[in-house]
Amino acid sequence: MQITRRGLGLGVAGGAAALGLARPAIAQNEPIRFGWLASMTGPSSAPAIGFDRGVRFAAEAINAAGGVKGRRFEVITRDSQGEPTKAVNATQELISQSRVHAIWGPTNSGESLAVTAIMARAKMPNIHPCVVDSLIDPNRYPNAFRVAPSNGQWDDAVRRYATDVLKARKVAVFGDNTGYGVTAAKASSDAFKRENVEVVQLSNIDATQPDMTPDMLRARNAGAQAIVVWTVSTGMLARMLNTRAQMGWDVPFVGHPALSAGDIGGLLEKPENWRNVFCVGYRSCSYDSTGKLPARSQELVDRLQGKVNLNDSLLWWVACGVDAVNLVAKAVEATGSTASEAIIGHWNSLRKFPGYYGEYSFTPTQHNGYPGEDVVMSAANTGRNGAFALAPGYG
Amino acid sequence: MLASILASGLAMGAIYALIGITYNTMFATSRVMSFTAGQLGMLGGVLGSLFMLRWGLPPVLALPLTLAAAALFGVVTEFVAVRPVLKSLEQHLYVLSTLAVALLVQQVVAIEWSTEPQPFPRLLGIGSGVWDEKYWLPVAACAATVLGLEYLYRRTLVGRAFVAVAEDNYAARALGLPERNLRIASYALAGAVGALAGFAGGQLLLAFVANGPLLNFYGFIPVALGGLGNNRGAVIGGLALGLFQQAANFLAGGIFASVAVFSLFIVVLLAAPQGLFGAPAARRV
Repeated sequence: MQITRRGLGLGVAGGAAALGLARPAIAQNEPIRFGWLASMTGPSSAPAIGFDRGVRFAAEAINAAGGVKGRRFEVITRDSQGEPTKAVNATQELISQSRVHAIWGPTNSGESLAVTAIMARAKMPNIHPCVVDSLIDPNRYPNAFRVAPSNGQWDDAVRRYATDVLKARKVAVFGDNTGYGVTAAKASSDAFKRENVEVVQLSNIDATQPDMTPDMLRARNAGAQAIVVWTVSTGMLARMLNTRAQMGWDVPFVGHPALSAGDIGGLLEKPENWRNVFCVGYRSCSYDSTGKLPARSQELVDRLQGKVNLNDSLLWWVACGVDAVNLVAKAVEATGSTASEAIIGHWNSLRKFPGYYGEYSFTPTQHNGYPGEDVVMSAANTGRNGAFALAPGYG
Repeated sequence: MLASILASGLAMGAIYALIGITYNTMFATSRVMSFTAGQLGMLGGVLGSLFMLRWGLPPVLALPLTLAAAALFGVVTEFVAVRPVLKSLEQHLYVLSTLAVALLVQQVVAIEWSTEPQPFPRLLGIGSGVWDEKYWLPVAACAATVLGLEYLYRRTLVGRAFVAVAEDNYAARALGLPERNLRIASYALAGAVGALAGFAGGQLLLAFVANGPLLNFYGFIPVALGGLGNNRGAVIGGLALGLFQQAANFLAGGIFASVAVFSLFIVVLLAAPQGLFGAPAARRV
């Protein structure tokens, strides 16, 4: 058969037209690929396991209801094991091989610091719950959105509680000797000083130090009226609480959410050593004075009943995982597109998106979406079904 | 404050001293610094907690089980990480092989046990305040170990054979002593001593995987301070380290205490490179 120039031209034009018509059909039927960078194993796996329960629950609920405009919601999980290098590899794989439409995670700041720029270069819509303030910068990372409080918001809540409710005018601030512990304790101390609260002691302690008596004695001798702690080390926290009891000193502890970790209960010499301890919590996942959760959270707990175990996890982890899935699904539903510009543009326009963990609002210049006023303090020893009672002082 | 420094300092010092003795016991018969010593201490705490809290065994059963399991780990170390590199001691391959075994144990414990500290039960329920058993149990364990080793080395045939191999293993072999079996036995003994440190100090250190590297490091300092292979030096060095560390915690606090400890360590080694109680190494010329 002889191929003429006209025939070739018509063939190419016809093929292009056919492909052009076929492409939207494929795009409209292909699954929504949701990349989930989870530290499912390793030293910081507990939050990711909780988030994962929410992610799977929400994805199954969407698919059971027919998907998003008929498109299945597919969760593609990569275990980063809490290691930034593995998170980098997993991110690149999710972007270039799995070709996901959005990424949820990582769930700890160390990994997030390593991958945020990579996602920004790929213009990958990204939501994460990591607290380090510098991870959100709409100019440098217009694709990155935070759906949990920043460290600054945690710090504000702790400081407000120490000064306004506990009426402390002299505080001792402790952190562990990790990068997080050092920076968080320094930032907290600086913020107290700015409000003319005297920081009588600022110390970074090796989390494996067996005896906390020296540090606690110095704080007491300096007249501390509240102890502010920034660490995820349950061993360090439990030792400090045991030492406080041995000293017969009923100074209040205020600080990091890890103060409520279940592991601490097993390390305390007596259960009462956990009294007068207040940790960062969230209004949406807190019991009020009558022992009730907010209506929307209770609705989620009822839906989770029998399907998701909350006894060994935290409600806010599960709720935040549900919200992450819904944020992506609603963006695709609203725009009819999985293009990154469409998803990012939709998120930039969100006002009080009704999530279970919080009502998120974003603008093109503000990607910290969690409402600061919903960051509250919880009584650390009141854990029940992954939620805590509001600390005294909240109406 | 002084009572607290003494109680806590002596307790931690006794734990460091026991780990130092663990290093020395392994070194004596093999000329190998095995970096599994700290992991043996960690295993003492973890296995003790496993047997007592999870399996519900009484301390009187849990202690011998813990020591036996750690002794077995000591023997495995000898077979896996020490024996293959004995012929090339001058290349110091044992650093790599023993560190590899230590890391292996650390990872297994992290995965199978927990990466978070776990509780260790009260053993006797005796004492409170600075007289709490968590402070004096490690000191008692250290004293019992030192006395037991002195008895072993001075009064028993096996102990004298240990000493003979430690002083000159070629001559000991020429005299017909089973050098290989004695080396295996010394690794088993070291395993038990290391685990005793973790078990007796479990209420202070908790059953925590991160104790392995901590004890590896701080347990090595008494060896360097007291002189390699010198158990009495290790005990004095360990107790001095514990007391100085605790005093520095009170006076300087937090991470500055570690700086003070290592500064003193470097100063001592500059002044006496062979350790405070060690003899300068003789070299044939």
